[in-house]
Amino acid sequence: MVFSSLLFMFIYLPVVLAVYYVVPSKWRNVWLFIVNLVFYGWGEPVYIVLMLFSITVNYAAGLLIARLKGDGSKAKRVLVACVVVNLALLVFFKYYDFIAENLSFIPFIRPLGLTLPIGISFYTFQTMSYPIDVYRGDADVQKNYVRFGTFVALFPQLIAGPIVRYKDVANQLAFRANDREQFASGVRRFIVGLGKKVLLANNIGMLWDVYKAMPAGELTVAGAWLGIIAFSLQIYFDFSGYSDMAIGLGRMLGFEFLENFNYPYISKSITEFWRRWHISLSTWFRDYVYIPLGGNRKGLARQLLNILVVWALTGFWHGASWNFLLWGLYYAVWLTIEKLFLLKLLDKSKIISHIYALVVVIVGWALFAIDDFGDCVRYVGTMFGAGAAGFASSDVLYYLRSYGPSLVVMIFACTPLGALAMKKLPRRAAAIAVPVLILIVLVISTAYLVDGTYNPFLYFRF
Amino acid sequence: MKKGAPLAQILVFVIFIAAFAVLNLVTPARTFSEQENRYLAQAPKFSFSALFDGSFTESFEKYVTDQFFGRDLWVAGKARAERAAGKTENNNVFFCADDTLVERFSEPDPAQLAANIDAVNALAANTDADVYLALIPGAAAVWADRLPANADCADQLAVIDEVYSRVDAETIDIAGALQATADEYIFYRTDHHWTSLGACYASERILSAFGAQAKLPQAFAPETVTTEFYGTAWSSSGATWVAPDSIDIYVPQGGAVVKNYPHGAEEDGTLYDMSRLETKDKYSMFCGGNTPRLRVDTGNEGPHLLVLRDSYFDSELPFLLGSFSTIDVLDLRYFRTSVADFIRENDIDAVLVIYSVSNFSTDTSVFLAGR
Repeated sequence: MVFSSLLFMFIYLPVVLAVYYVVPSKWRNVWLFIVNLVFYGWGEPVYIVLMLFSITVNYAAGLLIARLKGDGSKAKRVLVACVVVNLALLVFFKYYDFIAENLSFIPFIRPLGLTLPIGISFYTFQTMSYPIDVYRGDADVQKNYVRFGTFVALFPQLIAGPIVRYKDVANQLAFRANDREQFASGVRRFIVGLGKKVLLANNIGMLWDVYKAMPAGELTVAGAWLGIIAFSLQIYFDFSGYSDMAIGLGRMLGFEFLENFNYPYISKSITEFWRRWHISLSTWFRDYVYIPLGGNRKGLARQLLNILVVWALTGFWHGASWNFLLWGLYYAVWLTIEKLFLLKLLDKSKIISHIYALVVVIVGWALFAIDDFGDCVRYVGTMFGAGAAGFASSDVLYYLRSYGPSLVVMIFACTPLGALAMKKLPRRAAAIAVPVLILIVLVISTAYLVDGTYNPFLYFRF
Repeated sequence: MKKGAPLAQILVFVIFIAAFAVLNLVTPARTFSEQENRYLAQAPKFSFSALFDGSFTESFEKYVTDQFFGRDLWVAGKARAERAAGKTENNNVFFCADDTLVERFSEPDPAQLAANIDAVNALAANTDADVYLALIPGAAAVWADRLPANADCADQLAVIDEVYSRVDAETIDIAGALQATADEYIFYRTDHHWTSLGACYASERILSAFGAQAKLPQAFAPETVTTEFYGTAWSSSGATWVAPDSIDIYVPQGGAVVKNYPHGAEEDGTLYDMSRLETKDKYSMFCGGNTPRLRVDTGNEGPHLLVLRDSYFDSELPFLLGSFSTIDVLDLRYFRTSVADFIRENDIDAVLVIYSVSNFSTDTSVFLAGR
């Protein structure tokens, strides 16, 4: 199930909220536990078994690690075993077919064609943080199975993040206040996310589809840039829209999740971009891979190697395909260059550094969005004139005119200006404007969902 | 923030989702959408096998979307929102000048096009009867000047040129006739079909290919049978602000005897089924809509013609009555037996293959012409 669907908004959510606020608070986690499984199993009911298995293994590992705490080496063995089980499930379901296709010269190794369990990359990382945090002493053991299961399968962030670490929500699993302002801020945040996904991302996504489908011989330089800029906007509004909806839904249920996006497209370096883009994933890799590998404490050469490892993994996390690995390595290279000397130079001009960062990110999205290597090289080549069918053609004029107003709105929405303006609004004006805006976004989004000819889910490979 | 403010925000949201949740629950399901001209999804039957293969949840989501309270208004609202956002198209239909809606034509799949060309060539090789091919360009080509500036739409005339250069049949220049009269009402503004007037202009080219003389529109006394025709482009675009079309009949049925074979057995047919004017799909008034086979005994002198065609021909047929003794009309989507046998058994003198460019480049049943 996805948030931006009529089923979720007009059946699932009203029922979940109604029962949640009617039952006594001690039953709320049980109710969430049940509806989480319904949400997760909606597309593939069989995988509920996988989810329950994952919950049980990590729950038991947490108990064992806590009990063996006096005996460090035994606790470590349990932790390693648990991490191996988690990663084995992820590798099997997500990467087995990719490995099999690349090793097809070995007899009996054949792709299985299994459906990827929805959100497995998100919840595996989320779940794994628990035994690690318990082992490190960063979190207390959770003895209540339902509470732990509620954390693992919590529907708001289950399928597309943010990746919530156990220690960040441990206390909220035991106690959540009923706070009207928190619920209202949840509504506002959900509406922002819904608008981003349904009205902005789906809209500009159709423009990317036009250029993605265009045969290489017809693509012009301007067309290639317009297409990939459309994708850059689509992936940002889609992904950050999901995170906004997740954070908003979390607040409606009394949870506070950490922020996941912080206006990434206003960055003035790639280093800054990755502090603003998918923050929960970079934080996860920093805390559980980069720092354990030694981070920046073991000399420059080791630090650069660590960057390479982390970004190769980050790329590969996004999907079982070579282009995602390439995309990760592309960022490793830029981050290394910045670390070595570029960052100091970039401080000298705000405008040039901003343009530099945007161009690097936009070219990066071409590597991300086109999974066939040959097509990808041709597309990026066209952006820089190689093999292009001229600079521009009439289709660029048509689509610039058609999407012009949308593009202006979206570029504005990439900046913090809108949020600043809302804060500056006098109280009385806000008391009227905010509910009205909520209603407008709800009504228009519903219209787009009812005529839902185009509503893709981009994270089926994550 | 004041205490009252968050409550208003919560109420707007909660009431909105709760109200539509309840309205969806209490309103009965509709079977057919007049506006969209299609059957709507119904509640799927639950079974564990359907649940586990994913078909239940998929059908259920379609059902929720199709039966959403006030669906028609939402769909029309979305089209208006798109237009307000500066878009000049919605769901692959262009909003054009002169209150006209035109469906996008996409670059044909070369393999499908080649297969259909091969089928026409195979037909010409199979039979001694003369084979004629007529491709009808759509409004996207003939009314290109009404499209939004620089509209991204593939070139149908180039497709016609390509097909005509590769077929062994005698080709008929329908595009020329329609382009010469492009400033007249030759296509419906809300539908992909041509009007009777467009079909009348085309008949001049078709009949002259057979050495016969066509009548000009001025020679007829057209009768307007409806002014309330909302076509397929209107339905799929949601552009409810566009005014309806009217449908005219030019040629009275006269002494022509029409037999229809909707399920194999012979039934009485008609050139004009007036009862269809009560339904949404008013164009199906011509010949009573899709059918595998029609036979018209015209009561006139002339050769026996076989027509392999799509629905554009339904409104062309009346203009051909005067020049043939019998006209057999096959729709290969439904008529699945050998065309070569049919030609032999029925003593056919000439075969006319007549399709819109759009259908000829996408239809997967044209290959039957060569069987």
